[in-house]
Formats: sequence, structure tokens, C-alpha cells
Amino acid sequence: MSEALLKIENIHKRFSNTVALSGVSLDVKEGETVAIIGPSGSGKSTMLRCVNALERIQSGSICLAGEYLVKNNAKSEAVYADERTVRKICSNTGMVFQSFNLFPHFTCLKNIWYSPVHVKKENREEAEAEARRLLELVGLSNKADAFPGQLSGGQKQRVAIARGLAMKPKIMLFDEPTSALDPEITGEVLHVMRSLAETNTTMLVVTHEMGFAKEVANRVCFMDKGQILEEGKSEEIFEDPKNPRLKEFLSKMLTVN
Amino acid sequence: MQEIIQSLQGTVEYMLMILPALLRGAGFTLALFASTLVLSLPLGLPFALGSIGRNPIFRFLSRFYIWVFRGTPLMLQLFFFYFFLPKMFPALMLDAFSTALLTFSLNYAAYFAEIYRAGIESIDGGQYEAANSLGISRTRTMFGIIIPQAVKRVIPPVANEAIVLIKDTALASVISFSELMKASRGAVNRDVRADAYLMAAVIYLILTFLMTMLANRLEKKFSVYEVGK
Repeated sequence: MSEALLKIENIHKRFSNTVALSGVSLDVKEGETVAIIGPSGSGKSTMLRCVNALERIQSGSICLAGEYLVKNNAKSEAVYADERTVRKICSNTGMVFQSFNLFPHFTCLKNIWYSPVHVKKENREEAEAEARRLLELVGLSNKADAFPGQLSGGQKQRVAIARGLAMKPKIMLFDEPTSALDPEITGEVLHVMRSLAETNTTMLVVTHEMGFAKEVANRVCFMDKGQILEEGKSEEIFEDPKNPRLKEFLSKMLTVN
Repeated sequence: MQEIIQSLQGTVEYMLMILPALLRGAGFTLALFASTLVLSLPLGLPFALGSIGRNPIFRFLSRFYIWVFRGTPLMLQLFFFYFFLPKMFPALMLDAFSTALLTFSLNYAAYFAEIYRAGIESIDGGQYEAANSLGISRTRTMFGIIIPQAVKRVIPPVANEAIVLIKDTALASVISFSELMKASRGAVNRDVRADAYLMAAVIYLILTFLMTMLANRLEKKFSVYEVGK
């Protein structure tokens, strides 16, 4: 078995007086798509945000491609790498947010080439050409010069995916990418994500889209109350759930959908 | 009827006579106004960044500065820099224009700092998160992502302050800077008729009107990207 690309080990995170994560461990291998499902407040978004240091953990370790973002010291307290290393590791992750968070004062194209040029010091023309290629990949080549404010939600999210991909990240992180979208346009975003999965992009996806988790993800994790309660191949999770809370969660999701 | 026309004619003649003196005053008003803006607009930024930054020393200094300059009357500050400071340190003796420029710039920088701070803090936290996860440095996030968006939002309050500044320049007359207010008061005292005040009011109104036009234009220019909203 090959070494995991992303290794999350026994991470603990609490906000002032609530425990968000209590001992979560997860490995993601290269080329794999892992979906994280669970009720709201279960800590799944928090877990994802810990991977690129948007949230800081109190204990545990996170390692991406052999580099430790954070590691326990002898007293089991999480110690983060220096700021430069943290920034470097984070730029190896591509994050897609529920609320898009595109830069509204840049055109779509500039949103995509901005960080390759300014962070990776890539040549501006090459980065722009690459940005155009990425826009084509997400089916928005005609929106290169549009501002985010002129796009629909689904289009914005596709630009955000292209922006994340532009940094050639080792892993793409999706934080409920379709939750802010109208049901009829979630499809266009899921379609792009599916094609990324098919081209072996490593992805960690927090989602409420059970269909996506079932059909696209290689593995599915079910989280509740800050812990991963069940983890397995997507068929196993959906067709033969073992944990009673997962069973309950799935039956609720099915009656709702 | 005849009398009214004659008195009107006299008034017009008088106004034309004192107009050059008032226009010269208005020129000084404009010079003080424009140079104060040029200095205080950029000077506000380091205090804004300092007051929200991570460095506790800069934060304290910025907030202290803002507190002092917003917390005391502008007129008192003028007196301080014109009369008090040169008495302690004769080398700091400046002419009326320079003193007014210095005082106004320091004072307005404090107000602009607070406006900038509000503008910067009004930008959605998601923008920082997106920049962070793309590996964009803190400095570039601030100057490339946050401030350009904040500029648009601070134009209306900054224009508002600028209009206040046009009128505040009248305070410089207390240290005998011969701006519009001093010029018109001079004419009123000399000729024992108040027409000069009316003319000054009209000139101030023209200046503030021009300022409003400029602000509207800037606002439009900076809202290009908000087409869809």
C-alpha cells in the first residue's frame, strides 16, 4: 500500500467552549476522492479547514506530501511549522468554499492567474494561457473578462474551482461547494468535480450531495460529534451501513431527498 | 423703482470691487485644502493598518494618535503648533500656511485612519481565507485584495470629510492665514457692510459642489466591477 498523500492523525480542535473535533484520523491517497458526510455541526467543515490551517488544532498532526503542517510535541500539544512552511503547504492545497470567495475586483481570468503569478512567480503570459485553459475546462471560456458579480452562483463556483486548480495543488479541498446553490444548478458544479475525480485529482469533499458521494467518491467518511464514526468504500457506506447513527442519518437524507 | 435699481447697481459695483481680494482668499483656501488632502489621505493608512494590526506597539501608538487628534479641538491644535510649540522649541517656528497645513494634515489623517479602518474591516472574512488558502502573503492580501475593495467603500465617507475640510480651512484665519474667511471678514470690518460674507458663502458652496461632483465621479469609476449587484 502506498504512503498516504494527506495524513491526518488524531486531531483535536475546540473552540472556546465547544469541542469541534475529538480525535479524527484520516488518510487520503494520491488520486483518491474522499467524501465526508454527516449532519451539520458534526465537525466535517472544521476538519477540512484544519488541513489548510484556516483553523488551528490543539493536538494531533497533519502531514501533506511528507511535510508536516503541524505535529505533536512530547506533551501532545500541536506545534505548527513556521509561517513560511505553513504558507507553502497551504498553497499545495486548493480550497473551494461554500460562499465562493472570489475576488470581486478582478476579472475571472485574473482571479485564476493572480496567485500563480504572485505566489509561484510564474510568467504572467504563461499563467494567463493556463488560466484560459482552466476556464475552458470548467466550461466558462466565454467569461474570461467578466467580473464575478456578473456570474451565476454555479458559474462563480466553477471559476473558484479553476482558481484552486491554477496553483497545481496536490489536493483539492471542497467545503460544501454546492450548498449555496439552487438545486438545478448544483449539477454543473458536480459535473466539473466528477470530471476532476475521473482524471485522478486528489480530492477531499465535504458534501451534503449523497448522490455525488455515492457515485464519485472512492471512499466515504461519516462524521458526527467531532469524530469519524464509519469509513469505507462508498458502496459499503450507502448499502451496508453499520453504525446506528449513520443508518439514521442516511434514512433521514433519503426521505428528505 | 429707480432707487432699488440704483442700490442694486451699487451693490454689484461694490461686490466686483472686493471680488479680487476674496478670490485671492479662495485661492489660499483651495491651496490649503488640496495640500492637506495630499498629505493626510496617505498618512491615514499607516495609522489605520497600525490600529488593526498584530503588533501591539504599533496598535497602541496608532490608537493613541487617533485619540489625541480626534479628541481635541482643531482650533486648539492650531494654537498649539503656532504659539506653544515655537515657544518651547524656537526652531519649530513655521509660517501660518505651513502650520495650518501641518495641523490639518495630522488632524485629518486621524479621521481618515478611522474611515479606512472601517472600510478594511467591512471586507468579508472569506476574502482573507481565500487569499490564505492560495498562499498569498499577508502584505499582498492587504494591498492587492483587501484595500482595493475597501477604496470603493470609503469614497463616500472620505468625500464627506473632504467637504468638512473645505469649511474647516476657515479656522486657519485664527492664526492669521489669509484664506477666504479672513479676506471676507477683513472686507466686512473695513467697509461696515456684510456683502462679503454672502459672497464667501457662494464661493464655499461652489467649492463643495465641485468636491461632490468629483466624489460622485470617483465612486462611479470604482464601481465597475459591481455590475451584477
